[in-house]
Amino acid sequence: MSEQHPETDLPFLQVKDLKTHFPIKKGLLRRQVGSVKAVDGVTFDIPRGKTLGLVGESGCGKTTVGRSLLRLVEPTDGEVLFDNHSVRKQNARGLRSLRRRMQIVFQDPYGSLNPRMKIRSILEEGLILHKMGDESARLEQMKQALERTGLSPAVLERYPHEFSGGQRQRIAIARALVLKPEFLVLDEPVSALDVSIQAQVINLLKELKQELGLTYLFISHDLSVVEYLADNVAVMYLGQIVESAEVGQLCQQPLHPYTLALFSAVPSVEVKNRRQRIVLTGDVPSPSRPPAGCRFHPRCPLAETVCREVEPPQVDLAGHRLHCHVASRELERCGGDAAKTSVEMQAAITAATSDSTEPYSAV
Amino acid sequence: MAAPLLEIKDLVTVFHTSEGRLPAVDGVSLSIERGRTLGLVGESGCGKSVTAMSTLRLVSSPGRIESGSITFTTEGESIDLVTAPEKQLRKVRGGRIGMIFQEPMTSLNPVFTIGNQIAEVVQLHRKVSRSEARSRALEMLRLVRVAAPEQRLDEYPHQLSGGMRQRVMIAIALACEPDLIIADEPTTALDVTIQAQILDLLDDLRSRLGTAILLITHDLGVVAETCDDVAVMYAGQIVEQASAVELFSHPLHPYTIGLLQARPNVDARDRSPLATIPGMVPLPQNFPSGCRFHPRCSHAREPQCKLDPPALREISPGHFVRCHFAEEINS
Repeated sequence: MSEQHPETDLPFLQVKDLKTHFPIKKGLLRRQVGSVKAVDGVTFDIPRGKTLGLVGESGCGKTTVGRSLLRLVEPTDGEVLFDNHSVRKQNARGLRSLRRRMQIVFQDPYGSLNPRMKIRSILEEGLILHKMGDESARLEQMKQALERTGLSPAVLERYPHEFSGGQRQRIAIARALVLKPEFLVLDEPVSALDVSIQAQVINLLKELKQELGLTYLFISHDLSVVEYLADNVAVMYLGQIVESAEVGQLCQQPLHPYTLALFSAVPSVEVKNRRQRIVLTGDVPSPSRPPAGCRFHPRCPLAETVCREVEPPQVDLAGHRLHCHVASRELERCGGDAAKTSVEMQAAITAATSDSTEPYSAV
Repeated sequence: MAAPLLEIKDLVTVFHTSEGRLPAVDGVSLSIERGRTLGLVGESGCGKSVTAMSTLRLVSSPGRIESGSITFTTEGESIDLVTAPEKQLRKVRGGRIGMIFQEPMTSLNPVFTIGNQIAEVVQLHRKVSRSEARSRALEMLRLVRVAAPEQRLDEYPHQLSGGMRQRVMIAIALACEPDLIIADEPTTALDVTIQAQILDLLDDLRSRLGTAILLITHDLGVVAETCDDVAVMYAGQIVEQASAVELFSHPLHPYTIGLLQARPNVDARDRSPLATIPGMVPLPQNFPSGCRFHPRCSHAREPQCKLDPPALREISPGHFVRCHFAEEINS
């Protein structure tokens, strides 16, 4: 570690052992009877100018991670360092100045824009709150942000209902950009859009990142979109990250059985690329009562006794981080060769699931 | 050759609103053979769901089937679902044709148990006692691989997960052993691993029971993996129709090609900008003249595409395309 430039060496965003639990209250006295462990010990870094893709199924806690970073929900434990400032230790004023630099774009462009406000008021609200410039300077900034997102300044005097889903999402992005943020949490920004419109918004996000040097946390359940946009990918399951790596590494050589299943479940239009589909049994368990040991074990085709009892420790193979007993052992057996291990894991899972489900017939 | 199970001919469904006559479905022809899966793909607002609703005459006012025929042939008997009396149609709905809708959260009744809702369909269509209907419901839950089916029978929809509810919907659709299932975006609200389970289940049931499926979706990947034949819809019309293998290996309509290219591919390492289709899907109140896709099409040529509406033509055996320049794109 060089001591001369600590500010450039430190990752832009550091998340350490983040926990966000929601209390479950019952009875007349609203006593707390348990908690939903939506995020339960999540650690990751995002270097400046990079995109971390956070993938997982609904209920895995990925949205809660995004909201906890900005303290839109209050984390229970852990540390979030944004450009070396602790987000959790800020008072109201400090938090407000950090939030100008960290913005969020929500999934649903129909629900996230106030229908009673003109686009002008929606964009201007943040600028006024952060006391950024006088009226003419604000107008200039709003026009710039709209232009960047491919909208004309004429939209300022219109209401959200006059726009289509894709245009609304552009407005939501402009609303975030107008404050000149450095970091954006993108919570499923294209999931509600049609394919042809989705591609337009994905391209826009990519251009903006390059032009403005933005750092993204891109939350999505759609692996193909994440693979296209992200530099690094973390896979979440029941409040924890089960595997993370550089995007090419993770997509080419997934090691965790859950990641393998997730990739194999994505329908592909390339007939020749069709993989042996791994069909997981069962549903995601409730995060209020996560299973003991490895949280994935009730659905894992390779689960062993140790998986049911001991939480798997993290194995770090040159930045490819993994939480799985079976894959770690396999990795050791293959002498640390991730490519070989990935193939072996795939074969093991296929063998374990082939008798319970029929392979998918080709069209 | 025997008549196809379902044959839709020149279906026109319009909505009469304050903005005038809006043709949401404008001359759609489709046919489904027994035991086959037909995928109907398109973006929101292209008319794919209205086509499905029209098939069962479930389009509600101000919508109305204006012309066309929908011939449903079962047990050697053909009926036109457009003109059939309501009484006969009620036997078809949920009986010979099952339905699965997109939202498993809202398409089940929250105040009745799962068992009740499956048994209801059975009792409506067959002369069975309550206990027989209940045992049929149990059998159906087993068929759709619901865990602990005896216990689930007496549970309410809110106690089940999204994937489970969709399984219950499939159980209801299959309860009377239909010849055809119309599935409108059956997996859109579900996660990918659950989607894989449901698609797997549908395919398995089709091969075991010989039920034909009309699968409506916006996801080309889902179609590629489950369908035998595909029809692509745009602005109320079918723009391309072929077998799945043919369509995905030789797409000919510029819209189909655009949709395929706009999808980031999981296996592609290519990070160049995604191909986009400029503009938006037009609404029925302002469908463009000539070819409805021409304002967004990179192959469009004035004046032909702007003035002359192209017909759906057979370019190669079984491959139909609605484009003036399909041969050119083909070569």
